[in-house]
Amino acid sequence: MEIGVQKQTDEEKQVQKGQFNKLNDSGDKRQTGYCGFLTVEYYTPYFNVTENDVIQRVKATFLPFRPDFLNITKDNPDLWGPIWINATLIFMITAIANLRQVDSEKENQSFDVGYVPQATALLYIIAFGTPAILAVVMKVLGVDLSFFQTICLYGYSMSTLLPITILCYFQNELFLWLIITYGVGNSILFLIFNLKEELDKLQIQKKYIIIAIVVTMQLSLYLFYKLVFFSYVSEGNVETTTTSASSEPKEPAN
Amino acid sequence: MTDNHPFGSGMFQGQAKFVDYAHMNQQEVQVNTLDEPVLDTLLRDINMILYKLSYVIIPRMKETQGRKLRNWDLWGPLLLSLLLAMTLGINSNQSSDTIFGTIFIIMWGGSAVITVNAKLLGGQVSFFQSVCVLGYCVFPINVAAVVITFLQSYFGFFLRLIIVGVAFLWSTFSSLSFMSSMMNEEKKVISVYPIFLFYMFLSWFCIFI
Repeated sequence: MEIGVQKQTDEEKQVQKGQFNKLNDSGDKRQTGYCGFLTVEYYTPYFNVTENDVIQRVKATFLPFRPDFLNITKDNPDLWGPIWINATLIFMITAIANLRQVDSEKENQSFDVGYVPQATALLYIIAFGTPAILAVVMKVLGVDLSFFQTICLYGYSMSTLLPITILCYFQNELFLWLIITYGVGNSILFLIFNLKEELDKLQIQKKYIIIAIVVTMQLSLYLFYKLVFFSYVSEGNVETTTTSASSEPKEPAN
Repeated sequence: MTDNHPFGSGMFQGQAKFVDYAHMNQQEVQVNTLDEPVLDTLLRDINMILYKLSYVIIPRMKETQGRKLRNWDLWGPLLLSLLLAMTLGINSNQSSDTIFGTIFIIMWGGSAVITVNAKLLGGQVSFFQSVCVLGYCVFPINVAAVVITFLQSYFGFFLRLIIVGVAFLWSTFSSLSFMSSMMNEEKKVISVYPIFLFYMFLSWFCIFI
């Protein structure tokens, strides 16, 4: 890393010349040497988007029956979306969890940052681990989809969770399960319809393996999500019930 | 003489290499800063921090005036992050060490990630300058946290929301006035959004003190 101020601009100029290389056919940028992936320049081609591109991609996530996401991103998979959509989700989870607490405990407001490490681990492992597994499985089965395109697809599918998180503020149990179901359905359909074109080239059994992986991971993500919220509310109730000496385990209907 | 020079800083004491000096040679500089009283070194560093804080308090949109901020240092961000983490940790009813650790990591990790993001998007940022600026611009949020801590009983929820909101906007605006000049034109929104998220995250906790 640069230390001196005067050397900085020269070095930056040299680095800038090597950036924005075109991707080759398979959508990956090959770097010479095995440690290429540790440099900043390796990942620069994957940040070649503007805000309009990002908004367009997020909109495409909410319309799973019009599967043009993969066509949009085939030549230009980006990593900005997956990373920052998940960061926004982590913030929203913490914020909404705190807001829920404000309603229930008027006198004893404190904030709980316990969700930050949990949410970070959960979201980032699923956002980057599942595409890794999927990409490996798909490469083995013969689908031609690069690692970064899978990450892009999967990361943007997380944007379904954005409105769901905001709606999780409401404490009605049925409502929460409804929106969770909608979220699971939307994201699974989005992923499967976008992979359909690639999957149709395979035999039926192999197709179902991939579909099964996708469905399993999405279900487990949403279930974790719901349980994180649900267990928080019941803990909050346990605290208030122990202080007020009643024995109601379920959340009160608001 | 070292006070006037842009590199005259207690941080460089004892280091063998200096970039270059207009006025003196290497021997003279080492002797000057190594032999001075500790109080002088401390006062110089504190002055440097206060000088940079004045840039945070009065955000200046012109890049030329922000040039002094290019002499990055990490003392200011360290002090501010410790102060913020301690303030929020003291006020929490649960394990304050978790909160301290989380705030600290969010602040430093967040600054690093935002800087790498700006670099990846093609911006001309130097890593440590950017971390320095982001760290210093947490100062308004710090002030809001301390104010809310001491005047806790007088403030209702909405008043806190307003104070923290003002602090958040102030922080974002003052860091933008420095960072936006270094970013790629067409990718400004997606370079700036992480900064917005970062300060929102830090200021959110202050509402609930």
